[in-house]
Amino acid sequence: MTHSAGDQTRGDSSAFFTGDHSAQMSQNEVFALCMKAARGAGMSWGMADEAGFAASWLTARGLDGPRHLLAQLTAMQGRAWGDLCPTIAPGKWSAATGKTICPVVLGATLSDHAILPGGLASGAILTGPVDFPILLCPFLSGIAAATGQIAVLEWTDGHVEIDANGATPVAAVSALEGQTGVKLRVSLRPGTGPAHSPLPAPAIGAQTVAALNAFALRTTVPASDASRAGAGAASNDNE
Amino acid sequence: MTHPAPLSAAATAVFQRDPAHVMRLARMGAGHPTRLSFLRVLLRRIETEGWLCDRPVWQVDDKGVGHAVYRVQGPGCCYSLVAFAHDLPDEMRSDRVIATAWDATFALFDGDPTAADIERLRQNVPYQEAGRITSNELTLARANRSVRLFAHVVEALSQGRQPDAAEMDSVGYLMRTTAVYGSGKFGAADRACIAARPELTGPFQVEMLTVWLIRAFTADIVEHMARVKGGDRAVRLNADMRRDLGVGNSTGLGMAPFVVRHPILLNNWTAAREEALARVRSQAAATPQSIAALHHALHAAILNAAAWHSEHPVQTPRLADLRRDLAQIAATLPGWDWATPTPWDALWRWGEAHLSTEGQEVLLSLVLEPHGALIDDLADTMGADEDVSFRLNGAMPVADLRAILQEHYAWALEIDFDLPEATARFWYVSEEKLEPRLGERAQEDGSLLEQPLGIARLASLLGKTLEGMDGDLPVATVLLEHPEHRLMVRRAQMAAHHPYAEIRDNLIGADMLPIDMMRCKLAFFGANRFDPRSDRWIRISLFQGAVFPDEIAPGPRA
Repeated sequence: MTHSAGDQTRGDSSAFFTGDHSAQMSQNEVFALCMKAARGAGMSWGMADEAGFAASWLTARGLDGPRHLLAQLTAMQGRAWGDLCPTIAPGKWSAATGKTICPVVLGATLSDHAILPGGLASGAILTGPVDFPILLCPFLSGIAAATGQIAVLEWTDGHVEIDANGATPVAAVSALEGQTGVKLRVSLRPGTGPAHSPLPAPAIGAQTVAALNAFALRTTVPASDASRAGAGAASNDNE
Repeated sequence: MTHPAPLSAAATAVFQRDPAHVMRLARMGAGHPTRLSFLRVLLRRIETEGWLCDRPVWQVDDKGVGHAVYRVQGPGCCYSLVAFAHDLPDEMRSDRVIATAWDATFALFDGDPTAADIERLRQNVPYQEAGRITSNELTLARANRSVRLFAHVVEALSQGRQPDAAEMDSVGYLMRTTAVYGSGKFGAADRACIAARPELTGPFQVEMLTVWLIRAFTADIVEHMARVKGGDRAVRLNADMRRDLGVGNSTGLGMAPFVVRHPILLNNWTAAREEALARVRSQAAATPQSIAALHHALHAAILNAAAWHSEHPVQTPRLADLRRDLAQIAATLPGWDWATPTPWDALWRWGEAHLSTEGQEVLLSLVLEPHGALIDDLADTMGADEDVSFRLNGAMPVADLRAILQEHYAWALEIDFDLPEATARFWYVSEEKLEPRLGERAQEDGSLLEQPLGIARLASLLGKTLEGMDGDLPVATVLLEHPEHRLMVRRAQMAAHHPYAEIRDNLIGADMLPIDMMRCKLAFFGANRFDPRSDRWIRISLFQGAVFPDEIAPGPRA
């Protein structure tokens, strides 16, 4: 079936954008749309929550989180879980042979392992290649907050420092925009970053929203007479 | 009225109810509003601080079409409900979330809107989901008339007389809200942006404020239409009759998943209520004032139960239980020995021994009522910053996670999910309308697209995966192998510190009643007159009997 973007008869609370229109979205909207899209793209519910978190974290810092997540979800289509994960060894978290690591899976796994042997708190980690590593930044911020340190993300021609609040300088993360298949060095160093003033949320494009909605729609069930019958008021609402 | 200083949590612990008892769905579905309910918390603040409430704009024509602005100003805050009144043909009136037009639409503006703001809202708010609002707005809402009562009241007032009391009682509201969206929906301000404001720290305060101001609009629009019709002959609603008006609300399955998806909020709401009960039970004595206030509250509850109608086969026997139990309380109280040690606890124990679940939960509401000075501070503990608990503890050993499951999910581990009735239902989102629905697993397709609301089964599956694993293994290692357990591990780690986080029943079982989940949430809102229209949608009333904005005395109370 087809959906027109302006169909008000849908009980959806996600944004309806049409044509080339773009608009600011709230954190709540970004999280909800991206979480559903990630689930529709094949992530487990719990991992989809991480994807929603990552996209909304970026958006709150002036970056187009939904667009970056969409790039990742598109890239990971048809790939098995094992091909998205890092293989963990002390100091080196490798991609499967010939594969690239999903930044959401890597970020969540780095966060889970942060204070365990082989995790960031026990030393620098070489990893990669990593798809769309800009999506790793939200997780590094969480690790920085949990360990009271600054996370350092380095690649061939750049680096960014991330603390509990975000990156320093704020614009440094944008150097990662559009980059993919990147080999990285991730480490922690003592210290705390300066306070950041918030950046205005970016406008999110209609095409990004439509593509994420298409992934999200994969989590939904086609209508049947039984489901329609049980949906709500059957009586007259004019009483 | 003076009260002894509140006891410490440790001192009241002995009077706390067990989460295993409190968090059963049948009990949650018997919940009644209390003085900690969100609309009561809002009204207490507005009355205590003496907010300045006015209606700076009323531009509604003879057809009832136009807009109005309802403004409230408290210490350091100002909010305005921008109301759009429409002329809706009867055939377009639907309470379903999938409706396309309404009798009235609303947005709560953060501050005092300019003419340009109102014009921008006029281009968007009447279209609801198809429009966009901005971070200057806090909520988006709409309402439909109760056609029969609305017409009756217009007719009566236009002829210079008050409406028929029986007609008013039988419906109880002039309009029903069919959705009140907050928390960043459709571009509105995110909760995180406003949660630090003292007046908005508690849960759902902007939504409650929206509905309270909508109630004022419903009375104003009916009087306006009566004036149009009757001219000089028309009269206004008398104050008592107006007070009895609530705002109706129709709620479908969409509300039910909320209490599952927000375990820390559910915990904090419930923990506050349970701590309040424990504080009351722990009182060494009862003052004459508190005993009088209890009788007063009981009288009001009896009147409310008498006016509460439902024809639903689940609710009808519950209403009978409630009325019988209230009568029993009324018969018992006059002879109650208030000189006994911890008399409130003795009363509570009597209730547990003699009353139905409905009766016990209404007794809870009644015994809290006289004890504002003792318990009202607990309202400040009902909000939650859910982000704080988002990050998983990957270093937790498997043995500890197993212990959490044993302590907090034993009820789930006991369920045999091989039995068809244990997995008879599944929650899903419909592709057609994107609304949550509940399917029958054996008869309907789509269970592969099940939403993760069957927490008991998720806990059971996690428990099976952990069986036989090395107890020292960190959770991080398990999750790299088993990403499918990530959601449940996160929940279990939350539940370890939030004993009231989980509904301790199988939410995909054959005998599960979704209306119980809704009533639980609605009681915390402060709703009453729960009237299920099926096992999955319900009508309620908000703010019935409450003060109107133009009755608030400005300035802080002494």
